[in-house]
Amino acid sequence: MVKFVKIIPIALKVGTVTRKYPFERPLITESFRGAIEVDPVKCTGCGACTRICPPKALSLIREGETLILRYFVGKCIFCGMCADICPEKAIAITKEFELASENLSELNVDVEHELKKCVKCGATFVSTKLLNKVRSQVEALPDDIAELCPNCRRLEILKRFTGGR
Amino acid sequence: MDITTISSFSKEDLEKALKRIKRSIWVYHINTGGCNGCDIEILDVLTPWFDVERFGIKLVASPRHADLALVTGPITIKTLPRVVKALRAMPRPRLVLAIGSCAVGGNIWFESYSTIGGFYKILDKLHELGVEIDKIVYVPGCPARPEAIIYGVALLLGLVKQKVHYVRKKA
Repeated sequence: MVKFVKIIPIALKVGTVTRKYPFERPLITESFRGAIEVDPVKCTGCGACTRICPPKALSLIREGETLILRYFVGKCIFCGMCADICPEKAIAITKEFELASENLSELNVDVEHELKKCVKCGATFVSTKLLNKVRSQVEALPDDIAELCPNCRRLEILKRFTGGR
Repeated sequence: MDITTISSFSKEDLEKALKRIKRSIWVYHINTGGCNGCDIEILDVLTPWFDVERFGIKLVASPRHADLALVTGPITIKTLPRVVKALRAMPRPRLVLAIGSCAVGGNIWFESYSTIGGFYKILDKLHELGVEIDKIVYVPGCPARPEAIIYGVALLLGLVKQKVHYVRKKA
């Protein structure tokens, strides 16, 4: 009984500690990592983030003639490695955490990329944006073999070296 | 006849029941092989710091008393029979809150040999066994923040609007 009475002045001194969350701002610190956001303007569809992602929350899906970078928040562990590894710095970490949903498909975010077609065989092989970026950085790449798929490119170069035999 | 196998629970009944329990929802916590991260966050929610009893949310020890099951973890094969047993013991409407990346999508164990990988993968199995789930809300996060769990419960009860939507951007 006496012990309990001792608590009363302490409780009066501390006061109410309850955070009235839905009616008050949540306690988000500077270092908090929430859901990521992919910038569709900067993203080239190279797939570096899909390789580093531990739970494969980011994945590249080929859908006909489009390449889709799919981000499924439901699997994400918010490690931020994709933002570190992205060569274009297209991935930003937001402070968003209110991600609850009744439907799993609502948790997907897709970024659609256009695929480049091989001029020889017609197969799709790389996103147009990534090819343009590589062409702008590599000067020694001739225009006629840049738009060939890897298989056709090998055959073409072999043909040039052997003189068409 | 087993009461739990009756599937004549219509949408109107669910809405009526949700309206009834809006001010006092009793929760039962099932850990289905998680790492304890989400369990500690659930414990956080129940402490005076967040104090969910101001919404009438109360932790109960038996699934027979519970309205809502808090599922954490990627449902290992060992825990699957226990999960089914616990969910079968819950009265209708059977509400489930899948908390954390493990329960939502399987996290890094999404294709492991010893886990099922996410709560959505056992829904068909539960339906076969006659255990109907009336409403599920998925709460992503690794671990989910206490605020995110409160938001998930509020979404389940229809007090707030859903923030995330499917987006398809063109690059």
